Amino acid sequence: MNRKTIILGILFLVFIAIPFFISGFWIRLITYTLMFAILSSSLNIISGFTGYAAFGNMVYFGIGAYSTAVLMNKAGFSYIPALLGAIIIVLIVSILLGILLLRLKGHYFALGSLGAAEAVKYIIDNLTDLTGGGQGITLPMLKGNPAIVNMFFYFFMFFLLICILIVAWRLSQNRLGYAFKAIRANEEAAGVMGIDTTRYKIIAWSLSALFTGITGSVYAYWFSYIDPPTVFDVMWVVKMFVMILIGGAGTVFGPVIGAFILETISELVWSKFIFLHLGILGTLIIIIVMFMPAGLINLVTTGRGFRNIFKKKKEREKAHE
Amino acid sequence: MLLQAIVNGILFGAVYATIGIGFSLVWGVMGIINLAHGSFIMVGAYLSYTFFSKFGIDPFLSIPVVMLILFGIGYLIQKFLINRVVRGSVFITLTFTFGLQILIANICLLIWSADFHSIKLSYSGVGIEVGGIVIPMVRLVIFIVALVLTGLYYLFMRRTKTGVAISATALNFEGAKTVGINVNHIYAITFGISAALAGAAGALISPIMSFNPFLGGPLIGKAFIIAILGGLGSTIGALAGGMVLGLVETVGTVFLPSAYQELLGFVVLVLVLVFRPQGLLGKRFY
Repeated sequence: MNRKTIILGILFLVFIAIPFFISGFWIRLITYTLMFAILSSSLNIISGFTGYAAFGNMVYFGIGAYSTAVLMNKAGFSYIPALLGAIIIVLIVSILLGILLLRLKGHYFALGSLGAAEAVKYIIDNLTDLTGGGQGITLPMLKGNPAIVNMFFYFFMFFLLICILIVAWRLSQNRLGYAFKAIRANEEAAGVMGIDTTRYKIIAWSLSALFTGITGSVYAYWFSYIDPPTVFDVMWVVKMFVMILIGGAGTVFGPVIGAFILETISELVWSKFIFLHLGILGTLIIIIVMFMPAGLINLVTTGRGFRNIFKKKKEREKAHE
Repeated sequence: MLLQAIVNGILFGAVYATIGIGFSLVWGVMGIINLAHGSFIMVGAYLSYTFFSKFGIDPFLSIPVVMLILFGIGYLIQKFLINRVVRGSVFITLTFTFGLQILIANICLLIWSADFHSIKLSYSGVGIEVGGIVIPMVRLVIFIVALVLTGLYYLFMRRTKTGVAISATALNFEGAKTVGINVNHIYAITFGISAALAGAAGALISPIMSFNPFLGGPLIGKAFIIAILGGLGSTIGALAGGMVLGLVETVGTVFLPSAYQELLGFVVLVLVLVFRPQGLLGKRFY
């Protein structure tokens, strides 16, 4: 048992125990933060591991949410079959979009994926008969004691987070993950080495899409109301990118750490300065990008702890002298 | 109906071109997708509104001042902020400029409030009728001013030393440094010009559109489409891209419900990216 395992074990137990000691408001707040941790961890697979800036990743969140809503409302499915249906739809869309867009690189991919996301948003907005259009769509509520319902979604999100973390952890060690990293480092060289880059890129994006789509589906059931501007909001992707940047791109726990830091700050700022909220968030983004582009987790993993950051700074200063 | 739509599309296409030129200039020269470009357009519109409502200056006359102010803002932002991250990955620059965009939007919100503003000109009802087609005076003037700006920009890039230095830096960063071009200074000027053109576009749309601080987001979507259609850094390409977008939007609404107007632009964007990533005119850069 090394120290890392012990810390993770303690954190796991804390997260299991905590909803039994806090009020409904706090449970919802932490559930929301867990949701962002899942989303940024999913984005990390295509962007952090594989190096493709998927600025349109919310398309899978929106499709997951809308498939669930339509299957429950129009086809009369209960939640679990609707979720399975949503997963299948998201996977098919992600493979198709992957074939179409993953041949683009760098900025072009970023814009292409964003364009596709916006196009899907407007299509759903216009299919008024099926999706309710711009007015949004209401889902059947999960009935029962509100306290139990809150717990249900909390543990659902927590379970999903554990799943994506296991996937990310496996990717940091197995062949598939090395293929992703090889593509990020040098796609042409990876191709020459015998990696079928197109296939691996599509796998990476579909994995990312799978978790983003499931999260969208859970979100729809949880909030029981969705509309296109919310579930396709580009702002959310930017928040995920900032979370990844805070925590460290291509790391297993970085996005989760980033999600908790950014959501805590957002919540504090949001409740205190409503009119300055966006400005403060913008300033924060600028500062984070300018001063710690490699992420906080790099500070932790390259040293053995935060203490070493200061020690190292002193060493660097000495070396300069 | 169709002819009228075509005329409207071309007239507004020139404004799109002004937006696209500035956006694709920064992208072409520095490799940055500037998500704050839309907010520079907003600032331009607000400045023009302020000159009009406080001093009664016609929005077309205040354009040079608006451009000068935006040039200054752009120059300073590049010099003190973006030059520090300009060599970062797509990831970094996109996130950075998004942060800038919401910061500027929030500043606009504090100064001008979240209400919609617009400029009512005394001659906004005047129009010229040619063979059943009405050409509104204001839109015609906007079209001409936008074309003049595009022409001036083209001459600037071709005929002045600074313009050539910008192209040189875009083509070969190391080479430009070697021949003694101060790259950071050129970057700042490039960003300033881009912001100035965005400001001009904002002043141009202020008499015909109502705007609020959050219109920067949708406008940046248009800039993507124009830049991709036109190819990076090509003035003629951006002009063509702007016209095509204007036409697709106006002519599209003749055949499809108007709700599809936004969708069409993005469908065109994805199709062009997939099938002709070098842009419609097939030029990569200069």
